[in-house]
Amino acid sequence: MNFDIRRYVILSFIILVGFLYTFRLFYMQVVDDTWTLRAHEVAEKRIEITPPRGVVFDRNGMKIVSNRTYFNLMMVEDEIKNLDTAAFAKLIGWTVEDVRNRFKEIVKGEGTYYNKITGKRTSNYQKIRKYPFLKELTLEEISSIAPHLENFPGFYEKVTSMRNYPFKSGANIMGYLSEVNREEVDADRFYRPGDNIGRSGIEKFYERELRGRKGIKYIVTSALNNAIEPFADGKYDTTARQAEPLKLGMDMIIQSYGEKLMKNKKGCIVAIEPSTGEILAMVSAPSYDPNMLVGKRNISENYPKLALNKNMPLFPRPLQAEYPPGSIFKLVQSLIGMQEEVITENSGFPCDKSMVGCHNHPSARNVAEAVQYSCNPYYYAVVRRIIQQGKKKGTFADAEYGLNKWHRYMNSFGLGKTLDTDISGQRPGLIPDAKYYDKWYGHHQWAFSTIRSISIGQGEVKLTPLHMANIAAIIANKGWYYVPHFVKSIGRKGPLALYRTKKRTMVNSRYFPPVIEGMRRVVNENGGTASMARLNDILICGKTGTVQNPHGEDHSVFIAFAPMNNPKIAIAVFVENAGFGGTWAAPIASLMIEKYIKRKVSDKDKEKRIIDAKLAYISSPGE
Amino acid sequence: MRKEESLVEHLDWPLFITFMLMLITGMATLYSVAFDDLHPAIYDVSMMYGKQLIWIVVSLFLGIIVFLIDSDIYRRFAFPIYGFTLLLLVIVLFMPAVHGARAWIGIGTMGIQPAEFAKISTALLLAKYISGISVKQQNISSVMTASAILLVPMVLILLQPDAGTFVVFTSFLFVMYREGLTFDPIILSFVNSIPGVRFKETWVGSHFIPILFVMIFISVITLLLNSVQLDFFFLPFPVSGSIGVISTLLIFSILAVLFLQRFSAKRERTRGTVIIVLGFVLTSSLSFIVDNGFNSLATHQKDRIELFLGLREDPNGKDYNRNRAMAAVGSGGLLGKGYNKASVSSVESNHVPESETDFIFCPFAEEWGFVGIIFLFGLYLFMLIRIILIAERQRSIFNRVYAYCVGMILFYHFAINIGMNIGFAPVIGIPLPFFSYGGSSMMSFCMMMFILLKLDSQRKDVLR
Repeated sequence: MNFDIRRYVILSFIILVGFLYTFRLFYMQVVDDTWTLRAHEVAEKRIEITPPRGVVFDRNGMKIVSNRTYFNLMMVEDEIKNLDTAAFAKLIGWTVEDVRNRFKEIVKGEGTYYNKITGKRTSNYQKIRKYPFLKELTLEEISSIAPHLENFPGFYEKVTSMRNYPFKSGANIMGYLSEVNREEVDADRFYRPGDNIGRSGIEKFYERELRGRKGIKYIVTSALNNAIEPFADGKYDTTARQAEPLKLGMDMIIQSYGEKLMKNKKGCIVAIEPSTGEILAMVSAPSYDPNMLVGKRNISENYPKLALNKNMPLFPRPLQAEYPPGSIFKLVQSLIGMQEEVITENSGFPCDKSMVGCHNHPSARNVAEAVQYSCNPYYYAVVRRIIQQGKKKGTFADAEYGLNKWHRYMNSFGLGKTLDTDISGQRPGLIPDAKYYDKWYGHHQWAFSTIRSISIGQGEVKLTPLHMANIAAIIANKGWYYVPHFVKSIGRKGPLALYRTKKRTMVNSRYFPPVIEGMRRVVNENGGTASMARLNDILICGKTGTVQNPHGEDHSVFIAFAPMNNPKIAIAVFVENAGFGGTWAAPIASLMIEKYIKRKVSDKDKEKRIIDAKLAYISSPGE
Repeated sequence: MRKEESLVEHLDWPLFITFMLMLITGMATLYSVAFDDLHPAIYDVSMMYGKQLIWIVVSLFLGIIVFLIDSDIYRRFAFPIYGFTLLLLVIVLFMPAVHGARAWIGIGTMGIQPAEFAKISTALLLAKYISGISVKQQNISSVMTASAILLVPMVLILLQPDAGTFVVFTSFLFVMYREGLTFDPIILSFVNSIPGVRFKETWVGSHFIPILFVMIFISVITLLLNSVQLDFFFLPFPVSGSIGVISTLLIFSILAVLFLQRFSAKRERTRGTVIIVLGFVLTSSLSFIVDNGFNSLATHQKDRIELFLGLREDPNGKDYNRNRAMAAVGSGGLLGKGYNKASVSSVESNHVPESETDFIFCPFAEEWGFVGIIFLFGLYLFMLIRIILIAERQRSIFNRVYAYCVGMILFYHFAINIGMNIGFAPVIGIPLPFFSYGGSSMMSFCMMMFILLKLDSQRKDVLR
């Protein structure tokens, strides 16, 4: 038998395998990217160096937000040898069970990554990699653990940085940071799981300005995760850079002073520098120590307590609490009346208590006296003239026309809309227009007599304390304002363009002096409602308000600016359930003004009375 | 003096040059993969490349000796050489285990692996035995004897255990197939024991090597479809994968029978139909057995098979080595990363364990890319085809069988070793000839080549 033909069977086997392998290699190496990506994943490491977050200074150059060193306790499973779990648990103050669970948690949590190809979380846990076992240990905590770590091979300490608020004030301004969630990681390539992001306040609004630039190093690594060499000689590497510091217009001295004054009270203080629109202080009482929300451990411990506290310390009242403004609203009504030429500065109205009550005072003979006496019937008369100008046929149509005009005036004061300040979440308050009442009463079913309580800042009208302070700033400026804001400069750049644009009201500056004169008398004349705010050497102009509160004691409100000529500070103080505006809000404002302008307070008794006053039961935020 | 001239004259230069090119490429690859900044000299004997260089020099020295000795010695001393390596294979079983296998005689770097040399001695003895029997003598006893020559070292090697070399020994089956030494006589004795049946040969028996590969192919397909449930619109119930395979086989068998009835000579029809029916029964029962056998396996065995077939991924666990190797190979791209630039498979980075020995194809593929692969495959295919051409031009059966043995051993090593790196073969540790680091394999492959070259150069002196 001849078997020679079989050589071809064998030859074809060899050639077949050769071709098969060639095609396979062509596919693997040239066509398909999967294995190349896999190689990058395996052998190259992208090391990110997160710089410390940008620091924040106040207007006086004091560092009010800085970074503090913390420590992570890292572990490498492969290097752990004969772990005495009980002793280790004791060292870190955990139970043995906790320690075991944490190991499992690391494998399932930190030991996975989001696989873009399959869209699933895939394990890439490696026993030779470092994973944080404990995060955010303070220096004190690590110094009790670190000396014993030599007994526990496989555990290391690693330095990291977190926020620190040396003044413990301004929590609602600064906001807080917390770990990014999955959506944020997917939305912005800057973030990696475990990174922090600003959640509220300045930290949130200026996230991009504060986070800085991450340093990225590409290195070629070995299977033991050792760096072998920089990838492509460091061609693609970037260095980490800390963000430039933010400088706030805020004055930390009066901010913390204001928080001290508002102790055991509910309410707000907002102070603005009229000439720039910079917010000098924004107190929300009750508040909390911003350091309570630094780091994952603190947040998980304290956040629920703060969120559930019935006094709502997390609620940023100055921006979001909408209150009826009360009598301070009369200032704006006077200005609109004069601009609309329905009154002059010398118009007088009798204090006719038939429609609305008033306290006993002589009838106001001009605008200044009306402000001074805060005469309710006077403002009914003024606002009736604004709303019912007789320009349209029929009372209802006339009221519709008049109210819409009034609404536009109010808007020009920034009222009834959000002021685009650099903390998000500001509420617009409420300035009703014709549409609003149409909804309530029906089209042409209402007139001034229906809605008259808006004349004296009651009824439907609602403002936030920031709006109120801005009214004081507008009056101090005689008719214009900058949108109130916190940040004075970002590195060498000034504030955002938005905050450099002057906004004008619809009221001419020549109508302001009589109102200002009235405000001067409120504080400085005997019989004024805010004599408690009077200072010997600083001429304060102000206006009290007492906001009727159907749920309890009236709210005490006071807005002011000072000094009368060349105003340096405009302020609004709102104390909930404190009663008459002159009793609590006015002295608080005067203390703030004095502290700001003179840096010291002359009337220690007044200060003590305020600090000691308990106008609300405030449980401590930690409770 | 005359002898040397004749050597130069009769040496097969194409094969010799290919062989030398491979040695140089292999050495260059090892130098790149194991390169250490602190010991840059290629002759630094504290490094792998220094040692490998020594092995190559020693091998070349052995080659000169082989060239000087008359080739008749291998035929005459085939049996003693075989016996000696068997003795070594027994001794090695009493040596301390290294990495779980008793494969080494001696300690550390100075040890030798008898299994590597057993390939040569088995090839020599097989050649001597086959050359001593005539075609007419091919019967059960000759098949059994030839099988025994293979089986004794195979069993000893499996005891080490060294599955890789064990598998390589099955390459001798190709040689037996080429020489017509098949398992046909055994099958015939069974078939002819049935009353009334009288076959001269069975097609299955004489073509068992191609059939074996068809069977492996069908088994793999069956396993791949093991967990698949097929839904057919005309069937009320889902069909499991193996039934799909069997139905496909049935359809092809029926088609083949119809084809046969229509086109073949009358005399051939019955025989062909029997072969087809028999083939269908065998293959479908194989498919059935494999399918059910797999389902009855223990979980960890199933895992291994599933991992091998790529039905399951475990890139950081059991599949680690192959996964990293494939990543390294695949990342080479068209032109490669450049010499000494392997980032995944260098010894320093150590992502691919054994990248200097069993996985040395990785750094080569990573550094030279697909272009390098074409060059390497060119060398391999040229070498293998050249060896077969050389085999077929021998006057002596001994020479031809030996040459086929060398060719098939090298083919197995290339196919399995490279297959490991591209997911085509299971990870069984066998070296890549002339590339992998290691003294025993280097010397054994060089000896094999030198003996072949020597035998070929003297082919005209020998008749048998």
